[in-house]
Amino acid sequence: MTAALRERPAPPVPSVALRSLALLEARRYLRSPIFLIGVGLLLWTTVVATGDFGQNVGVTDPGDQDFLPAFCLGLLGVFVGHQLTRSLDASEEAIGASPSDGVRRTAALCLACLVPGVVALAWVGWIYAALAVGNIPLSATIGAGARAAMLLSGVVAAVGGPLFGVLVARWVRFPGSPLVAVVVLAGWVLVSTVALALPPSRAGTLLHLSAPLTAWSSADGPRSPAWVAGGSPGWYLGYVLLLCGLAATAALLPSATAPRRGRLLRLLALLGVAALACLTLAVLPDPVRIPL
Amino acid sequence: MNSHIAVELTGVTKRYRGTTALDAVDLSLRPGITGLLGPNGAGKTTLLRILATVLAPEAGEVRLLGRAPAAAAPLAEIRRRLGYLPQEMGFPRSFSCFAFVDYMAVLKEWSAAAPRHEEVRRVLDLVDLADVSAKRIRALSGGQRRRVGLAQALLGAPDLLLLDEPTTGVDPEQRVSLRQLLSAAGERSTVLLSTHQTEDVAALCDRVIVLDRGRILHDGGVRDLVATATGRVWLADAPDPGARASWRTGTGKYRNVGAFAPEGSERTDPTLEDAYLLLLGSRAPVTEAAA
Repeated sequence: MTAALRERPAPPVPSVALRSLALLEARRYLRSPIFLIGVGLLLWTTVVATGDFGQNVGVTDPGDQDFLPAFCLGLLGVFVGHQLTRSLDASEEAIGASPSDGVRRTAALCLACLVPGVVALAWVGWIYAALAVGNIPLSATIGAGARAAMLLSGVVAAVGGPLFGVLVARWVRFPGSPLVAVVVLAGWVLVSTVALALPPSRAGTLLHLSAPLTAWSSADGPRSPAWVAGGSPGWYLGYVLLLCGLAATAALLPSATAPRRGRLLRLLALLGVAALACLTLAVLPDPVRIPL
Repeated sequence: MNSHIAVELTGVTKRYRGTTALDAVDLSLRPGITGLLGPNGAGKTTLLRILATVLAPEAGEVRLLGRAPAAAAPLAEIRRRLGYLPQEMGFPRSFSCFAFVDYMAVLKEWSAAAPRHEEVRRVLDLVDLADVSAKRIRALSGGQRRRVGLAQALLGAPDLLLLDEPTTGVDPEQRVSLRQLLSAAGERSTVLLSTHQTEDVAALCDRVIVLDRGRILHDGGVRDLVATATGRVWLADAPDPGARASWRTGTGKYRNVGAFAPEGSERTDPTLEDAYLLLLGSRAPVTEAAA
């Protein structure tokens, strides 16, 4: 009871305060059991998938493996992002009296969502290493840049899922809301794959690429040759990156007051327009399907 | 000691769906410990929430630590110098005692890890939780959890410390310990202690505010309030039906608190609780304010 009183720290510059909070949230993310399960699942499925590369050359391309981090880290990450955001609700009143306002706290949570992105980037490195070590011939139909964009869209989905979880936690408050969010996301992706079963067209490509995760190759039947769907993987990568920006900005909105709220709304509109532009550019190339 | 006014409220009003929680309250606080008493629903928690900047008043002017908390910059500056223990403080399930206070320290802008951890250890030591700092909060007793809440409020030795029922669920030994802690805090800071425990106010505070139905019934020295009950508390062999309150004490005699002690009765020294009961008994009938 006799410990000396400490002097308060000097007010830090906002970026330092945000960085400290983001690091703390990142550590919480790393310790989340759901995230750890997702990482374990990604490891296991990747070992199986990379083992498959050598035996099924020509049937699929490694570029089409983006669903692995998207599912293991992105979809499960919706729960992690939501849980991290809501876990401190019980202490909201004490937290509300701290100098870190809601915008800073939400921004820190959004930055912590980069944790699964780093894991997913490592996963991309693993895939390329496995291809190099196994000396596996790749399909000439998909260029190196396009393949990288396909794989990186899985990385973006690994970040986007938790961002969507933070967004849902900031806007919606009912039990089971993260589950509903996951169902909505999964439903959106499933609906978009319907386009792969239709004859190639720009409308079909638009439906196909509007989802935050997409499969790039498919086949018309079990014994039919596989083909790559039309559209630009590069512009699609830009589109999903902007969707992440939209989710993060929308998550910041509920805590923001004027004039910051106005700036966020303008940023939201800008990101929305840019996302639509990227989607349009992704759809513009010839929708014809090219055999792998 | 800083003699500046830490809290200045002028005509502060807050209503909830037609119920007036605070009715044109004027108040100023200087360094020292001020007790805030009042029955349930008197508006104590609303007052503390407004002072903690988590609730905005509908009308009136608020100045805290020399600043108006309306704009973002002065609000952040106020919050840097503010410690707040809410009435109902929950905790995240998975956090340890240390991790929670550390998290709060980061929110209070202790960015560098080493001094932050030192500060967290200091406040946990202050509230006698150093031994259980690694324990999950959900494994702690109610009194220990309350002290975790108090520890986070003490981070950085705030200039304005707002405590809403800090001794709830705390055992007598710990309560004495907390009194020592709060009296030390009151030497340097402005402490507002909202409580139902009149003995805590009597033991700690030089000033007491009694709030009822959103209005200040009494604002003055603790001794002044106690003095209003002089000659109005007496012991008798039977309860007095005319007394405001009457109860059998451990000695077998009845302690009566009322408007006037009967002639020849055995008068006794009043406590703050007696004076508080008499003050509430003298209040005006329920009016529009509490309707």
